[in-house]
Amino acid sequence: MSAAPLVAESLGKRFRREWGLRGLTLELPAGAIVGLVGANGAGKSTLLALATGLLAPTEGTISILGRDPLRDPGTLAEVGFVAQGAPLYKSFTVGETITYARKTNARWDDEIVVELLTRIDSSAKVGSLSEGDRARLALAIMLGKRPQLVLLDEPFASLDPLAGRELLQLLMDGVAETSATVVIASHVVADVERVCDHIVLLAGGAVRLEGSVEGLLESHRLLTGPRRPLGAIRGVREIVRERHSGRQLTLLAVTDGPIVDASWRVERVGLEDLLLAYMAPERLPAAARPTERVRLRWHG
Amino acid sequence: MAWVTWRQHRSQLVTAAGLLVALAFAALGTRLPIEAAFHHDSLAGCLPPAPRTGCDIIVPHFEGEWNGLVTAVRVLAVLPVLAGLFVGAPLLAREIEQGTHRFAWTQGIARWRWLLSKTALLAAATALAGGVASALVMWWRTPFDTLEGRMGPASFDIEGLVVPAYALFALALGVLAGLVFRRTVAAMTSTLVAFAATRFLVLEFVRPHFLAPLHRTDVASGAGGQPGDWVLSDTLVDGGGRQISVARENLAVLHAQQAGIDPHTYIVTLGWRRVISYQPAGRFWTFQLLEAGLFAALAVVVVLVTVWLVRRRPT
Amino acid sequence: MRDVIQFHLDPHSGVATYLQIVQQVKEALRLGTIDVGDQLPTVREVVADLAINPNTVAKAYRDLEREGLVVARQGRGTFIASSLAPASLRHHDELRAELERWIRSALAAGLDEESVRALISATLRESLARNVA
Repeated sequence: MSAAPLVAESLGKRFRREWGLRGLTLELPAGAIVGLVGANGAGKSTLLALATGLLAPTEGTISILGRDPLRDPGTLAEVGFVAQGAPLYKSFTVGETITYARKTNARWDDEIVVELLTRIDSSAKVGSLSEGDRARLALAIMLGKRPQLVLLDEPFASLDPLAGRELLQLLMDGVAETSATVVIASHVVADVERVCDHIVLLAGGAVRLEGSVEGLLESHRLLTGPRRPLGAIRGVREIVRERHSGRQLTLLAVTDGPIVDASWRVERVGLEDLLLAYMAPERLPAAARPTERVRLRWHG
Repeated sequence: MAWVTWRQHRSQLVTAAGLLVALAFAALGTRLPIEAAFHHDSLAGCLPPAPRTGCDIIVPHFEGEWNGLVTAVRVLAVLPVLAGLFVGAPLLAREIEQGTHRFAWTQGIARWRWLLSKTALLAAATALAGGVASALVMWWRTPFDTLEGRMGPASFDIEGLVVPAYALFALALGVLAGLVFRRTVAAMTSTLVAFAATRFLVLEFVRPHFLAPLHRTDVASGAGGQPGDWVLSDTLVDGGGRQISVARENLAVLHAQQAGIDPHTYIVTLGWRRVISYQPAGRFWTFQLLEAGLFAALAVVVVLVTVWLVRRRPT
Repeated sequence: MRDVIQFHLDPHSGVATYLQIVQQVKEALRLGTIDVGDQLPTVREVVADLAINPNTVAKAYRDLEREGLVVARQGRGTFIASSLAPASLRHHDELRAELERWIRSALAAGLDEESVRALISATLRESLARNVA
């Protein structure tokens, strides 16, 4: 039984005078495809850099598959990482880049790389590839070492929709083949909504929200009703956001049971709206039209 | 890592090889006329310890004739630092500047091992290149070295074992600077400064004391010591052993000229003598070994510091 | 053999992705575009096409296996095990009783055996046509 893919305990990283991360505690489930979301500057890239040994923690600990990524060089044999912008050596050809990865990784599967990289000329210089092709190359190479954990930092940024879709297809194909745990860091929620089954939301350098997509959608409701002073509402454990408009009051609530209060209209929330509500305090999802939400059924 | 190092640095290595080939051709081309002139003027008879008469004229004439080329060759003292500027500094600085370290350092090989392998392979190439350059210079300078020796810094610094050792030190400094400053230009600048400072400090304060200098007292004649020795200091002292300032010396010369006496003779009658402290020419290889060893050891220390840093605080 | 069915995903339909896959398999069975013994696309093929979570596809295939419609053969793929008939057979008795009641009504209305048979065939044909459209 292998160790959890990522465990962080009160993890903190200070840059000169500012804290990029502070008091971050997290444990990811194995085999999940995790969306690591948050506004720009929330700490996503910092967390991934700490997870790959590119940064040393200021305080706290992080362990990847049971190892210390900073000190244990064996960690990165099991972790695939593509940094923001898919950095590769621009003067290398595609073939040379693959050779580079083959020579610096003990476990290497040429077949999977070849399978995943269709339509790319192996003698083309990396610098001459389109952004989309470069991203696909970086991803395929990363999967060539058959990692147990895949970490991606903003993989879809600066890709057009078609290139983004192709990248996602390649990623899912590779994940299906290797059964890796995946963490996709993105500040665009819509990108990850299609494939993620687990969400970690960072705000201000710490975990603000975490859980399976099913669980999150099941445990949140949008309540709309006439404006009134609020007391305890049966079934509501916590109010995340509230918004007043004229005579109407809208609440995003965490529930711990069914809400039977007839003075509220209760609706489910979409994932994107839910995450945006946690990310930007002033925003609250507009109450959706019934036809959009009523048919949502997510079974366990 | 051999393939990786070759592929990433092949343009640098090819350039260095090209430079050495050009150097070899230049050395060959310019040496032949020098050789011819040496034999034509029978300068072989002017070698210490027993120069024949007339050498005090033809030797300076010979040296003056080729002074331009000799000075040009002294410029090659800059070669070792090039290893630091163009191979060492960009090694880490360019990776970090362009972000490719996020690719290179997240493969299955440890950062420190990646760095150490690369540095070791490049160090071997650097040492080899330095050795070839040094051998070329030594061969080229043979006529001049036999006439005037090579203990003096002008020739010591571009011959023998120190050249590859300087290059290794510069390379190591460059790599460390690249990690610390993370920008190629800043790394190159700091490498240059640190290298020059170290060379200066060693030359001024360490090399003169590798072995205790010898002393010689001469009557205050014009000549100051044997050719080939490295004169460290040449001071005029009075009968009581006190050093005579330049002002006093000038005054004495003035007196002599006013009295119509040869200044040198006058100084002798004053009881003044020259005390010369020097390192003899015979110590050349010993000093070469000591200084090369020093710089090589410094290079190793710098590399170990860099490796330690990359393990504990990569960026 | 494996492109017997091509899945499509409607992310805004409100129906869970895995359910959409299950429904599309069942629909294909009903329509006869896939048959017993046909191999469903591998999980890899589906996700490489749709860019969805492999767990979703696995879940859909597991559900279909539980319902007895497909069988997973280790190392070879997932194959259609039976048509939808078994499911409908559960309601066999109920439907049968209902049918008998209708036949009695039809006979009482004065139709003979031939007319009853003709009426049943025509109505069946029309209903199936409407379902597909």
